[in-house]
Amino acid sequence: MMLLTLGWSRFWGRTRIRRYVWNHLSVLGDRFEYRGRGRELMIGFVLALLMVGAWGCLMYVVWLYVFHEKPFASFGLFDLFSLSVVLIGFPLAYVGHYAGLRYKLSRTRWRGIRCGMAGSAWRYGAIATFLQFANASTAYLLTPVVSVNLARPRIVNARVGTQDFAFAGRAGDIYGRYIGYYFLNIAAWIAAGIATFAAIGGTLESLGFSPDDFLKLLSRPNLSTVVVVLLIAFGAYLLFGLLILPLRCWWQAYLLRYLVTHSRAGNVLFATALSTWQMWGFLVLNYLILLVTLGIGWPWVMHRTMKLIAGQLWIYGAPQGSTIQQPTDLGPTYGEGLLDMFDVSGV
Amino acid sequence: MAARYYDGVTAEVQEVMLKITSQELVIYRPADSGVVARWPVADLSVLGDSHHEAVPPVAIRGSEARLVVEDLAWRKQLASLVPALKSLALEPVPVAPRLAGFSVAIVALVGIFWSAIEYGTEYAVPLLPYTLQAKLGETVLDELLADKEECQGRAGVTAINRLANDLAREAGYKHEVTVHIVEGGPVNAFTLPGSILVFYSDLIDQARDSSQVAGVLAHEIGHVVHDHPIKGVVRAYGLDLLIKVLSGGYSDILSTFGTGGSALLAMRNGRAFEREADATGVRLLEQRGLRADGVSSFFQQMLDKEPEDAATSAGIWSSHPPTKERIEATKRPATGRPAFSAAEWQALRNVCK
Repeated sequence: MMLLTLGWSRFWGRTRIRRYVWNHLSVLGDRFEYRGRGRELMIGFVLALLMVGAWGCLMYVVWLYVFHEKPFASFGLFDLFSLSVVLIGFPLAYVGHYAGLRYKLSRTRWRGIRCGMAGSAWRYGAIATFLQFANASTAYLLTPVVSVNLARPRIVNARVGTQDFAFAGRAGDIYGRYIGYYFLNIAAWIAAGIATFAAIGGTLESLGFSPDDFLKLLSRPNLSTVVVVLLIAFGAYLLFGLLILPLRCWWQAYLLRYLVTHSRAGNVLFATALSTWQMWGFLVLNYLILLVTLGIGWPWVMHRTMKLIAGQLWIYGAPQGSTIQQPTDLGPTYGEGLLDMFDVSGV
Repeated sequence: MAARYYDGVTAEVQEVMLKITSQELVIYRPADSGVVARWPVADLSVLGDSHHEAVPPVAIRGSEARLVVEDLAWRKQLASLVPALKSLALEPVPVAPRLAGFSVAIVALVGIFWSAIEYGTEYAVPLLPYTLQAKLGETVLDELLADKEECQGRAGVTAINRLANDLAREAGYKHEVTVHIVEGGPVNAFTLPGSILVFYSDLIDQARDSSQVAGVLAHEIGHVVHDHPIKGVVRAYGLDLLIKVLSGGYSDILSTFGTGGSALLAMRNGRAFEREADATGVRLLEQRGLRADGVSSFFQQMLDKEPEDAATSAGIWSSHPPTKERIEATKRPATGRPAFSAAEWQALRNVCK
């Protein structure tokens, strides 16, 4: 369908996938429902396209009157548009992320009760942009601050009916683990780099190849060249999987456990014991599936992800159903245009 | 018939029993048989269907209440009693035959799309409005000339444009060709959409004689008359779109492979286009009775200067065929009239002065 419709059927395809996935997930024996529509996603995308089109026209007018045949003539229309997209695209991606989450939640029901998300997507986009910029400027030493302060609005603004969520996390609680990960990660990359160069150089030398010979071989590849390249790629993947990924999982699993265990909804507490090695095994197999199937095996990956979430998320306490009311707010009428525009929506 | 009932007002759940009559669906508590709700059969509907959802809920028009029947046998029974609820009991579609069918369809469609892109461009490109192509070429030219000087020697520019249009008309090309000469290097010339040619003055300065410039010009006219610039753009865009559509944008890996694959295909297209332009350029010169040995001698001169032929070294990654191959393919005797008169050649040599 994607081929026949040049990708436009993706809105309906995504909707069907969500209906399937949501309905196969349940909490306390009650399944989730997804009641979004493909048409809503398409409208959101078309509106985002129009917005980008309008921005493009504005840039054209600016270029025509400010840059064209003026002293800044070397700054072309394409340069101007690209720069503006980078400047506004970065914050807009976060706005789109939050707005997309709000749309998904507004179309999700549990026990017939609509979920939702309050708060401003623009505010979230502004905070996220500022935090990411600050993080990049400080060599990513602010990552715990970013993680906690971006998770907070996403959690506390989410609702199931009139039931809010609360989050009691603080960045200071997780800095110890992050600093350990930060420096160990640097060491791991250095070790991986040395191992890679030594392996490639050593292999080439043992096979009697000079780097020039290898480049010549690449310019006229035969079956053995392809096999060698595949082996090198597999070796690189193995190195990444054994050296870098476990460390990343050591941090990510800890962060996930922290965020989950510091969230609650009324008298319902959440917990997970997802371990580093559980996450590592999960990600390694996912990468392999995507690699071997050239990405087409993503439904399998998604299924595994949902199973992991369902198996590793525990709930303590039962919600008081009578106190959770149906909200009056119906949520946005269309969804995810920006998210789709920046191609980060996935499912 | 047991079910879970959500009233749509609060998140309370009630375990209920169902009784269906010809007029209504009665929902009652099993403990005391107290009626929870009576839903008119005419207003019943299923939200979704069991193809896409494990247990699609039953709802009633105008209410947010839901009924969820987990047991498949009971759902089938309900569906048989109330035709409006038939989508409750659809059997899940077997995966393997569907997967096989989709796989075959995808392979077939990819093959069709590929052929359409590869071969369809031959027929589709002439249908593209020429004004659009010209606009694209002019935009690129503007970007190029933003930080370069164009040579203004009128006689030289007129001479090269005269030959360019003579050769184009010889090929039956309907549009006017415009040649721009840019000061400086590299030693190169190229073609833009909309019959726009760009020559660098270093190429003219380094040419041994006018037949070499005429040969390079004829080669570029070969690109023009075959619409190579716009074909290349359409093919590259078509392949990029095919890969994005195939992967649904979800796969960075497929996109990465696709980018590499697209680059290789672009190189392959480039080599095919260069061979075609070489052959056409030489043919046009011969048809007009002009010296046609210029291209070959120009390539030989370049190869003598740089014996390490970049095109040969790059192999499949090169956008041009190996230079030695091109020299052999375009080798012609030094017979025929000179393409430029002595005055024209002199004017061309001085075009940037």
